[in-house]
Amino acid sequence: MALRALRRVGPGLAPRCPRLSPPPRMPAARRLATSSLVLSARKFTDKHEWISVENGIGTVGISNFAQEALGDVVYCSLPEIGTKLSKHDEFGALESVKAASELYSPLSGKVTAINDALADNPGLVNKSCYQDGWLIKMTVENPAELDELMNEDAYEKYIKSIED
Amino acid sequence: MPPGAVRVLRLGLRPYPQALRVQERCVAAARAARAGAAPAESLVLSEPAGPVYAWGLRGAPGAAAAAGLRARGAALVAARRGGHVTFHGPGQLVAFPVLDLRRRRLPLRRYVGALEELGLRLCRRLGLAAARALPPPFTGVWVGESKICAIGVHCGSHITSHGLALNCCTDLSWFEHIVPCGLEGKGVTSLSQELGRHVPVEHVLEPFLDSFREVFDCTLVFSEEPGD
Repeated sequence: MALRALRRVGPGLAPRCPRLSPPPRMPAARRLATSSLVLSARKFTDKHEWISVENGIGTVGISNFAQEALGDVVYCSLPEIGTKLSKHDEFGALESVKAASELYSPLSGKVTAINDALADNPGLVNKSCYQDGWLIKMTVENPAELDELMNEDAYEKYIKSIED
Repeated sequence: MPPGAVRVLRLGLRPYPQALRVQERCVAAARAARAGAAPAESLVLSEPAGPVYAWGLRGAPGAAAAAGLRARGAALVAARRGGHVTFHGPGQLVAFPVLDLRRRRLPLRRYVGALEELGLRLCRRLGLAAARALPPPFTGVWVGESKICAIGVHCGSHITSHGLALNCCTDLSWFEHIVPCGLEGKGVTSLSQELGRHVPVEHVLEPFLDSFREVFDCTLVFSEEPGD
């Protein structure tokens, strides 16, 4: 696999999974900058889930904003493989100390995988929310639903609007 | 109703499952409140009429343990909230704040901290200066090695539910049949036990509401909830 030369790499950027996607604009020191290389493909919901689709399979997780708001995740309640989800359906919950936070499906599709690593290491959701802390993978039944989600820029604006 | 006011539903002595149904209606109203319109926040207060063991995402008793608890006359309820198994029953103040964390710009972990603060202020108002909060996994309000107030919440679409349970004059022997909150070797206590006098739930309501107003910076409006 050819590794593209990474130009204008931000401080501390060390992608674990080199991808052949086009290099995104590199924002100046922003919270999301360290993982922007893989973030450009992501879409976000207003409930702070993200999904990135590759070869018809969507990987779903929660955003950095969400994991910070939750606190340390101690348990992940995830659906069975094969579960059919409609967009907005509750598909599980994350427990941080004494709080169960509901998870909502960004799209309609069927669950194809769940992240087994979270059973023994739920803290991955905090430490690596965009990479090792992914929650489920699912098919994308209706690609048009992706257009309804926010891209990285729109999501950052959304976060600013609710933080101020 | 003035903007930013929280509607208080004082259910009094009510079976725990009924209080849960009232809460569900409050949650539905809060989620339906349109962005830009006034939020529809509530605070449901009750004293469970009968003994109940409830657990969260984790902490469900196995079949044999469940049969044992039922044989003692308790109901068993699965509640979609954080925290393990605990007991609810007469003599306990159960509070369900149904608040909009997005409007309040309050991250969930700070909301849990606010509930601890609420419990602490209430205990101190009642003369229990020794009450303290402890870091995770001991979230809750403690007197020494014994928990006086348990916390367990749910958050969906930025709306909270469940909340806290404060032992006022609870029969603490009910806790002997579980490992409360999954914490081995820790005790439970009540306001009555710590203050050496009978403290019924009714005596705690006003100081609770005062503490709630302070911690959540809100006004309270009192409402009647039609019977179930």
